[in-house]
Amino acid sequence: MPSSRIILHIDMNAFFASVEQQSNPELRGKPIAVIGAAKRTIITTCSYEARAFGVKTGMNTWEARQKCPHLIFVVGNNRKYTYTSTQIIMIMREYTPLVEVFSIDEAFLDVTGCLSLFGSAERIVYLIKSRIKHQFGITCSVGIAPNKLLAKLASDMQKPDGLTIIKPEDISRVLERVPIKDLCGIGAKMNQHLSNFGIKTCGELGRFPVDILKRKFGVTGEKLHYMGLGVDDSPVVPDEEAEEVKSVGHSTTLDKDISELADIQMFLLQLSEMVGRRARRYQVAGKTVTLTVRYPDFTTFSKQESRVSHTNNSEEIYLAALKILNSIELTQPIRLLGVKISNLRQHTEQLPLFPAERKKALLAGAMDQVNNKFGDFAVTFGSLLGKDGGSKVISPAWRPEGVRNVEVD
Amino acid sequence: MRRVAERIKVAAIFAPGCKIKPVWFEWRRQKHAITELSYFWKDRDGDATLLHFAVSDGSNLFELIFNASDQNWTLEGVEGS
Repeated sequence: MPSSRIILHIDMNAFFASVEQQSNPELRGKPIAVIGAAKRTIITTCSYEARAFGVKTGMNTWEARQKCPHLIFVVGNNRKYTYTSTQIIMIMREYTPLVEVFSIDEAFLDVTGCLSLFGSAERIVYLIKSRIKHQFGITCSVGIAPNKLLAKLASDMQKPDGLTIIKPEDISRVLERVPIKDLCGIGAKMNQHLSNFGIKTCGELGRFPVDILKRKFGVTGEKLHYMGLGVDDSPVVPDEEAEEVKSVGHSTTLDKDISELADIQMFLLQLSEMVGRRARRYQVAGKTVTLTVRYPDFTTFSKQESRVSHTNNSEEIYLAALKILNSIELTQPIRLLGVKISNLRQHTEQLPLFPAERKKALLAGAMDQVNNKFGDFAVTFGSLLGKDGGSKVISPAWRPEGVRNVEVD
Repeated sequence: MRRVAERIKVAAIFAPGCKIKPVWFEWRRQKHAITELSYFWKDRDGDATLLHFAVSDGSNLFELIFNASDQNWTLEGVEGS
């Protein structure tokens, strides 16, 4: 019964920074900021000691140094974070099979059916927190509530190392003064729209006439009304029950802005190979290829084109992306490039009938076998030799297994 | 962390439960006794499993890698010297 559910939201505290502080004892208790491996220097996350000086995620290093002159910058190690996250999720799954990985450092757990095994939700939280602390030395904040919306809100209320419980009978009292922007799903734009109606708190949102919300926002209006009341019936969906992925894509923020066609082509080929390889590994093929371009002023646009047939061949993906690129008039250098295939279908290995196609498939298969044994890009296209391949950033869509398990550098 | 990527000699305890604890290593003719194992993580390079150990000898931090496939130890990097 949805009304009697017990949902946990577990949020690792300053995850990447905490892992780095555990890895290097010299960094413990100090203000540190984790930055990407790429030469662009945006802060991925920072320690609580740095946050006390006003350093925030997304700041550039110059701005952060102004806030905290003795801030220590640490180049992130994505593989360390994905390993740690995967292990933590395995710990969670020992208490309930209903674990929904929300991002690399957040998960929802439905423990409604597990209480007879472990006693209480608080006991489960205590056990999970203790094991994470013992194994990795890091902490998390946990929210316990009757649904995902409130559990996430609760986990944000005490950081770091907190536990907040919102009981069903306390929902309206707790929400009365909570700013609507604290609710997951209400971004800056929606916050502004609702502010225009004079709605600032969840209490005000819940009391606001739902008809007006529906007229303004359509179906979302009704959802907003229920959010204001703290009602959320969405289930905790474990990975194996999640909807099938709709696309396979990779994007990369380039070390420096590029405008030379040869450079752009080289990165497109690299991205196409990453997309093709992941699609082949998980036996999917896409009919639509999408190219995404971001300029230095952060203007971002995508253009897509559907092919006659499905493909997961890197060269074909590259040629389709190149065709799209040639149809675009670039007005600025490029900061970010992305390639994606969508309109997916399962693609089991079947050798093509025609010799040229057959050769292509055999070549891709042989390359994959070598790369599976010796690592990504061990054998690759000649124009990519000596280039630094692989994903530099952990996508929000990263998951510990399946097609969303993107290997990172 | 400064990248070193040199093969080194390591003494380690292989305990029950697949737990490996490096005790000392030799690098450039100097023996470093490990005083703290601060972090451990795994990843893969092709079909090889790589075990990473962040260790300290009391003055510097080192990253050691044990390649479970070819059984070699590598000093991947050093911080502080």
